[in-house]
Amino acid sequence: MTNKVKIALLLLLPIPVLLGSLFIGPSVAVAPGRVIAWLAMRLGLTPADGSPAATMVQLVIEDVRGPRVLLAFLVGGSLSIAGVALQAMFRNPLVSSYILGLQSGTAFGAALALCTAWLPVQLSAFVFGLLAVFTSFFLARKDGKISSVTLILSGIVVTGIFTALLTIVQVLTDPFKLQAVVHWTMGNLHTASWAKLRTTWWLMAMGIGGLFFFRWRMNVLALGDDETRAVGLNPERQKAWLLLFSTLAASAAVSVAGVIGMVGLVIPHMVRMLIGADNKMAVPVCFTFGGAFLVLVDNISRTVVTFEIPIGIFTTLIGGPFFILLLKKAKIGWELE
Amino acid sequence: MKMKNHDSAMAIHISNLSYRYGNQAVLEHIDVDIAAGRFTVVLGKNGCGKSTLFRLIAGFLKSNDGEISLFGRSIATFSDRERARILGFLPQHHRPVFPFTVLDVVLTGRAGHVQFTPKEEDRLLAHQALVRIGITALERRLFTELSGGEQQLVMLARILAQKPQIILLDEPISHLDFAYQAKVMNIIGELVRENITVVAILHDPNIAALYGDDFLCLKDGRLIDGYDRRQLPSEVLEKVYGIKLTVIQFAEKNLVMPTRKVDHAVDD
Repeated sequence: MTNKVKIALLLLLPIPVLLGSLFIGPSVAVAPGRVIAWLAMRLGLTPADGSPAATMVQLVIEDVRGPRVLLAFLVGGSLSIAGVALQAMFRNPLVSSYILGLQSGTAFGAALALCTAWLPVQLSAFVFGLLAVFTSFFLARKDGKISSVTLILSGIVVTGIFTALLTIVQVLTDPFKLQAVVHWTMGNLHTASWAKLRTTWWLMAMGIGGLFFFRWRMNVLALGDDETRAVGLNPERQKAWLLLFSTLAASAAVSVAGVIGMVGLVIPHMVRMLIGADNKMAVPVCFTFGGAFLVLVDNISRTVVTFEIPIGIFTTLIGGPFFILLLKKAKIGWELE
Repeated sequence: MKMKNHDSAMAIHISNLSYRYGNQAVLEHIDVDIAAGRFTVVLGKNGCGKSTLFRLIAGFLKSNDGEISLFGRSIATFSDRERARILGFLPQHHRPVFPFTVLDVVLTGRAGHVQFTPKEEDRLLAHQALVRIGITALERRLFTELSGGEQQLVMLARILAQKPQIILLDEPISHLDFAYQAKVMNIIGELVRENITVVAILHDPNIAALYGDDFLCLKDGRLIDGYDRRQLPSEVLEKVYGIKLTVIQFAEKNLVMPTRKVDHAVDD
């Protein structure tokens, strides 16, 4: 299979995955035949069936499965595309947005909102996620320059601080709210709704769109700061743009879906192994493949057992061993120095 | 074909250039003109300010004092992109992280010319650069899997894809084996014959003498004066490196070897 065919297949992957996922769910009443009937009705092939059963099917597909599948897709795509951008700009394939404090920042923001009701949960999570990443960024900045090592170090410090703050909130709050906080941090696609999509899709889209424009420049940045400056791009300025867009996308994704681990780290690796490192193609493929991946994982998490496994736990359980396998076995084309 | 003009055209003009890092003076009062279409070699011990001089010329650092101009235009007036279209710079030993193909790496040389993504003509120029260096066979190979010598040829092709008139090379052969050293030096020779101005930092005074046209010697942040810059007298080299040298005559050039008793240092 040539690379072009592979890329085309990966870019088209979301179509069958998204459609197919509408068939999957714990609701026994919504049998595959019903979904096909709904699809035919929606495509205008058959007239609308006003029966209560058909109405229920329509409700499940359009208001439960539809938004959930779309949200999972956007969240998976956002985390993956942010991951590939950050890995390029830090010249470090072990980086994802969580290393800059995003995870702990959003978790603290969500916990604060859940326990105090001062702010909407999503908004608070999003704002504190941005705050955490930009704090890491400005702490690491010295004389207008950002070294990757200091940025990762300041990310660790910021993560530590927000984790400590999160613990304080958890200690002070009552057990019921504590449970909500714990559930939030495990990832929560099951609360997906059109309202959640409406408030976040455009933030994710802005981040994704920006990264799409900058995708070839990621190739330049991935060669190093001096190598970037030598061909006429200011590496600090390029990094600031990439950081802004990837944080927008990832922070919006985490604010709506909770902490979903490993996707931003593992998907870029899988994509590079499948189609090569050129970000001109790897960036769009990371979006479609990462989105489709999370939709598939979510399908498993809501059908495999009678209760729902939190999606964040599931991605980490799948992604963790896979990543270790990558480190040990596979030829991934880079070495830790 | 343009005639080689040895005296009138100045590619790089540097006047009264100083650079301090904190209280430490790295470069002091550098005055020099680098001729267009010639190969200028910069020699000096580690830490004498060679790399700093290059980073100042390339616009990576801002000087505290003095003036640098490229073809008569002050570098302060260039944008990063404008400068990259005139001046190519090979930083010291590149360490690749991601397994890009060779063509992808060379294509990044076009960054100063393209807006967001390269076009077909940029791919063509990148390909031509590979042809020019004679490494089209590597085009689809992964950069990370090449030998150090091959990687250096790819980085040279990347500079050619940039289409600069001036090329600065910071220790282009320091990490290469004997054969690749000769290969890189011959490529530099060909570029100079095509009227490109090349300035390189080299550690081997004999390779410098065999290939170079003009020689700049730096010691403790100052240029050594008082000799014809088209020659590389052994007395100047003794001063630069602070060791006693034995001279061997070869092909009308003075080649040098360290005199064997190592602790026999020349008084500064």
